[in-house]
Amino acid sequence: MTDTPSDSGFTPDARLYFRAREGWRWAEALPWIVAIAAFFVFPDYMALGTQILIAIIFALSLDLILGYAGIVTLGHAAYFGAGAYATGMLSAHLGWGEPISAMLFGGLVGAALGFLSGWVLLRYHGLTLLMLTLATAILLMEGANAAEYWTGGFDGLVGISIWPLFNHFEYDLWGHTYYWYALAVLFCCFLVARRIVHSSFGRSLVGIKGNVNRMHAIGTPVHGKLVKIYTISAGMAGIAGGLFAESNAYVTLDVMSFARSGTVLIMLVLGGTGRLYGAFLGTVVYLVLEDELAKLSPEFWEFGIGLLLVVVVLFMRGGMLGALDDLVAWARGKGKP
Amino acid sequence: MIPALETRDLSKHFGALYVTQDVSLRLEPGARHALIGPNGAGKTTLINLISGALSANRGSVLLGGDDITAQSQAGRVKRGLARTFQINQLFRDLTVVENVTMPILERSGIGRNIWRRASTFSHVLDEAMALLSQLHLHGDALTPVRELPYGRQRLVEIAITLGLKPSVLLLDEPAAGVPSAESHIILDVIAALPEDIAILIIEHDMEIVFQFAKSISVLVAGNVLVEGTPEEIAENQEVRAVYLGVEADG
Repeated sequence: MTDTPSDSGFTPDARLYFRAREGWRWAEALPWIVAIAAFFVFPDYMALGTQILIAIIFALSLDLILGYAGIVTLGHAAYFGAGAYATGMLSAHLGWGEPISAMLFGGLVGAALGFLSGWVLLRYHGLTLLMLTLATAILLMEGANAAEYWTGGFDGLVGISIWPLFNHFEYDLWGHTYYWYALAVLFCCFLVARRIVHSSFGRSLVGIKGNVNRMHAIGTPVHGKLVKIYTISAGMAGIAGGLFAESNAYVTLDVMSFARSGTVLIMLVLGGTGRLYGAFLGTVVYLVLEDELAKLSPEFWEFGIGLLLVVVVLFMRGGMLGALDDLVAWARGKGKP
Repeated sequence: MIPALETRDLSKHFGALYVTQDVSLRLEPGARHALIGPNGAGKTTLINLISGALSANRGSVLLGGDDITAQSQAGRVKRGLARTFQINQLFRDLTVVENVTMPILERSGIGRNIWRRASTFSHVLDEAMALLSQLHLHGDALTPVRELPYGRQRLVEIAITLGLKPSVLLLDEPAAGVPSAESHIILDVIAALPEDIAILIIEHDMEIVFQFAKSISVLVAGNVLVEGTPEEIAENQEVRAVYLGVEADG
């Protein structure tokens, strides 16, 4: 066995490699700097900015299950919607409008629903799983439609009244308060997600995505781990939904719609799955493009999005961030002799 | 002595097709036992029954004297039963060292930890690197598995199971797909495996079987035809007729 070049006695340092992967990079400050700068550059667009931040939290929650555990879903809006209705109903029916606790309640309801549905759903995979996630969201939406007394049904849930943040910062028409609020929540969610994906548990999720047969053969409780990350993801989606209900003070059935489940999937795929920041880039590109294209051509804006999706899926492995990585690697390789 | 692994009248059928019939095997601790037989004899099915990937219709599997027939695949692994696959089942996009880290994380329960950074469990990485050195794979530690030649990928396949620290190891054709010029690399590695592990090996390469095994069972059409030492099997007329004879003519 001495004839192979790798037996030359050189042993790479695995520890340095792992630490480097988990460590913070300077580039990671960029999205946060952009988010803060955006407030001062586009103060009139903060309502849109808030919706973008909420959508990023939602996409980030999807990345945890799709990008890391390989669970493909077309029904993730079920948990977003459950969170939105939970937060909304807490205010509209019980009169509790304290924003942070109400949002966390939305997250809790999302997580509980994720745990219950995930327990059943995640016994299946492939097309069966895909259809079951879709069916779950449809069932939930029809349930919300039928429970008109509680949800307002087709007309939407009205009467949501959210108290000032920390009893001090009022909701304002320009969405300034909510922009900072949503940014803080996004930052917390991101820290949690980053911590999870770099943990040992996160690594074993990547193993499940990479080869589930092998994970069974080394004794991994695959189902249990998938349910765990699904519950966390659903909780995060519920938090996004809760924020959505608070910032709009209005919830319609649309929060659980198939379109919302599909849109978040497109956003994440555009940005790049399995890299956390893909949720940021994909969401911003999608929503800004939607806003700009809609001004340009109110009827055909989706054509532009569709075209972009085709280009990204066909030519950019790992989404736009993946393409960026490839570009950086290529430039570095070119710089060397 | 309590056998490390025992099967009693293990049987499996798919509809009317009986793939395993009343197979009774006994492996002492540290055994080097080979399972040979013509294609379609049910060798891999037997491995699947023992490891729990398939459930038997009848019969039982005992590990260290305990009946594990009702246990799940994961439960059997926890009790010290590990297997390799005939076709590589690796994490192709991950590095070699990460492939080997996976079983260590699972065995130690660290894989449940959702908060601490993976790199801070330095003993896991140290153990993985030591295992790679043992198999002469340490130079490839940071190479993605998909970039390795197939023969070295087979070694990663074995390394992953060793990370489980098994008491019984099932090797399903470890040299399958490896060019014959390189099969000695595989043989060197399995010959150097820790002596206290009981090993059941399925192999078509007779050179490996006769060099490595201390005892052999011949499986034909789901039945154990005969069992004995390599010399007895080589002399056995019945075996020569149904199995080795074919090889000798070829």
